[in-house]
Amino acid sequence: MKVDFPSTSFFEALKDRMAQEQDRFTKLGYFDTTFGVTVVGPGEQRRNYLLNFEVYECMGAREIDNLEGEDPDFVLEADIAQWQDMLRNIQSNGGADTDHGINTLTHFGEGMKVIYDDPERHDKLFRFSESIQEYFDLAADLQIEYAS
Amino acid sequence: MSYLATSHFLDDNEFVDKYLYSMRTGELDLSWMDAATKEVHCTSANERRGLTFRDLDVDGYGFSDLPEVVRENRCYAPRGAEIPDGVPDMQAGVNRSSDVWAYNVEGYVEEAMSRQWDATTDIAWTELQEAELPEEIGKAYAQLLTFLTEVEMIATDVPAKWMGQVNADFIEVKNFIALQAMDEARHAEVFRKRALSTGYGLMRASVQNEYNLKFLRDAETFSEASVTLHLQAEGNVLTLFRFSEYISPTDADKKMFRLVMQDEARHVGYGMQHLKWLIKHNPECRETLHAHLEEAENFLFGSIFANEVFEPFVILSGKGLKKENIDKGLVITGMFQMRQTEEYFERLDKCGLTDRRERSRLHEVYELTKQGLAAQGAI
Amino acid sequence: MAYFADRQYFDDPETIKRGTEFGEGKLILDWYEIENDRVRCTPSDPRRGLTYEDCSKGAYSWDLLPEFVRHNYSMAARGSVLVPGLPDMGYTENRKSDIWADNIGELYEESKSRRWAPAVDIDWKALAATDFDPAVTASMCQLCTTLSEVSLVGMEFPSRWVYLVNQEFLELKSLLCAQMMDQARAVEVFRKRALSSGGLKRASANVQQALKELLMADNYIEGSIGINLLVGSLLLGVYRVAATASTIDAHLFRRCQQDAARRVAYGMGNLAYHLAHREGRQEVLNEYLDLVEHCFAGIAGATEMLEPLIVIAGGGTEPGQVASGRARVASIYRVVVDEYLGRLAAAGLERRDRSRLPAFFAAA
Repeated sequence: MKVDFPSTSFFEALKDRMAQEQDRFTKLGYFDTTFGVTVVGPGEQRRNYLLNFEVYECMGAREIDNLEGEDPDFVLEADIAQWQDMLRNIQSNGGADTDHGINTLTHFGEGMKVIYDDPERHDKLFRFSESIQEYFDLAADLQIEYAS
Repeated sequence: MSYLATSHFLDDNEFVDKYLYSMRTGELDLSWMDAATKEVHCTSANERRGLTFRDLDVDGYGFSDLPEVVRENRCYAPRGAEIPDGVPDMQAGVNRSSDVWAYNVEGYVEEAMSRQWDATTDIAWTELQEAELPEEIGKAYAQLLTFLTEVEMIATDVPAKWMGQVNADFIEVKNFIALQAMDEARHAEVFRKRALSTGYGLMRASVQNEYNLKFLRDAETFSEASVTLHLQAEGNVLTLFRFSEYISPTDADKKMFRLVMQDEARHVGYGMQHLKWLIKHNPECRETLHAHLEEAENFLFGSIFANEVFEPFVILSGKGLKKENIDKGLVITGMFQMRQTEEYFERLDKCGLTDRRERSRLHEVYELTKQGLAAQGAI
Repeated sequence: MAYFADRQYFDDPETIKRGTEFGEGKLILDWYEIENDRVRCTPSDPRRGLTYEDCSKGAYSWDLLPEFVRHNYSMAARGSVLVPGLPDMGYTENRKSDIWADNIGELYEESKSRRWAPAVDIDWKALAATDFDPAVTASMCQLCTTLSEVSLVGMEFPSRWVYLVNQEFLELKSLLCAQMMDQARAVEVFRKRALSSGGLKRASANVQQALKELLMADNYIEGSIGINLLVGSLLLGVYRVAATASTIDAHLFRRCQQDAARRVAYGMGNLAYHLAHREGRQEVLNEYLDLVEHCFAGIAGATEMLEPLIVIAGGGTEPGQVASGRARVASIYRVVVDEYLGRLAAAGLERRDRSRLPAFFAAA
């Protein structure tokens, strides 16, 4: 089944895959964070998603108008081309290569921004970095329809 | 400020200039590329085990080449690295291999890392939630768990106290110490959690056993600490865990004791292998060890005053407080104590301290008790 | 031998009498009469298991820990019934606000849950088959040599204090043990990474000097800020760079990053708790950091740390690669300093206008 990116169904598909890969994520350990994803489209149009992880599972993924009111731990924000580039890379490699991992994309502020208010909650990006990367890597075998 | 670096880096012009020059020009020093170290490419001997410390035991880096006295490395450098001028002295007080090394320590480290478990999730707490323990059993069990959570962390504090003293070249031993600390934290945790989930809470602290803990803590050398902590105390606790598994009120409790047993057996293993190594490489230590064990055995005999430990065993093994339960419990507990003592001496025999039996007053008591039990037909 | 029993039990008539009475079935059972708080702790979330937080109930709660622990210097479990004669174990860390943090329980549980094993959780075979620029290979060996030194000191720090922390603070002691294990794992994985790819390189006098100054802090809270926050923040940046070397390194250093982030989180929690409960400590700690922040520069700017990072970040030693690498490292160092000062501020210690680090790293 094809899923559009960006869309709630895309993140829900990752959520379902995560549930199927329960052993893998249980082995990685508790994964307790709520973070936002912002996809910036043409004309600065923003689509925001709130992803909520608890224990070993993704509890919810939903689209919302404004992330500020939701108080996420941090927000990963990039333009749509960057997100698409990352996902295409994940699909062609079975997982992100080093240039397309969340770590690389965020740490020089080149491709993806990390927005946060609270440094302690921002550090959850690091505390759960392997789980976060493996969550996005679950897109490897999704059939993704990219918005133009 | 108890130590000041030999340079204040923000005020050290040479350091600052070099940093800025490298960053601004891109001209790098790169002299470290030609470090005087061995080139090696270690691979896994057994891929299922992954890359182990044993796979790293190669020329230039290996533990097999460790000298009896480490004289070259006094700093925080990893074994086998080039050590430049100007490194600080970590002030290690334990620099002799025979004082810390153990046969197979690298194996114990890998096993410990691989067999970590989690007291939070690996015990069926929801199942235990349903388990109702009768008052007599519940209280006795809560008292036993109180004792166990009280004593477990001594096996964190004692090795941790020595960590900073152990030369960095004995990295496998240092890692073993760190992993043991974690094992024991987990034991204190699981017994506390179990006590607090029985519905009876924690019971009474054990003064007599705490004297013994202080004795363990205040040993003057690592080897003395190890022979009494790893071999004697943890050896006794290992037997106690086996016994506790036997008298456990539920299957989940049995599993708990099996899990802690694995960790404890590893610590006892290290203690035995260290003692063997020590006796082989530094045989003159025997008299010192005998003296230390003499006092350790004195403490052990004195633990007869710890009725808050002995009596719960009697109740749990006899399954109640009635006279027939107590009588049965006394027989079983007596056998457990005999087993504990016998295994202690067996371990010492195995390590080469065979003359401990003939010198030990504990062994004298053991023999007399054994004869008494045999006369009663109990064994 | 430094501590002796109060008597020779083997010769003590009272001991012999007690043994004989037990043998006859004369039990004392005074402990049996104890009525303590009969809690029955259960998992608040079965998926998560029974956590320390679930067990912080009634008479056993960590919320009841006093600021000054005066009543117990023994190893008796917190909340158990204390009896006269318990010995003094020599604890020196008996003041809650020096050592405590509100996130201790959470971090301890997380550290167990997110454990990993370098021997098997890193694909060493795939790493061996990965094609690296020779300069990047050498740089990784150097970086891992330096990180071995940093991790060893990271392991020494909790060891140095754990046996001095009063047993009443069980959850903190447990977290310190988890940190010891995390750091042992770091020591292990960096040694394995280096020895699988060429071997160790050169130890660093500057890095070690800086680390020793931080390790030897006179008191716990200063050491905690130095090792957990100052060095921890730097490591989060260094790992981010090192993770770019290869896909396998990304897995390896992300895991190291997770472990380091817990240390940083505890450091923040410890500082925040300390400042929230102690007046006038901002200035004392600011003065301490005035003195020791140069150690951050000493580690980050040491040739044995800086240069391999540049080569790894740029992908080699060609001029263009070095230019790219130093731009990236300069950038990450600025980010790391900013994050470090942001963490201090969030914990209640504002020193963005006071620290010399931003100017030092901006100059490059």
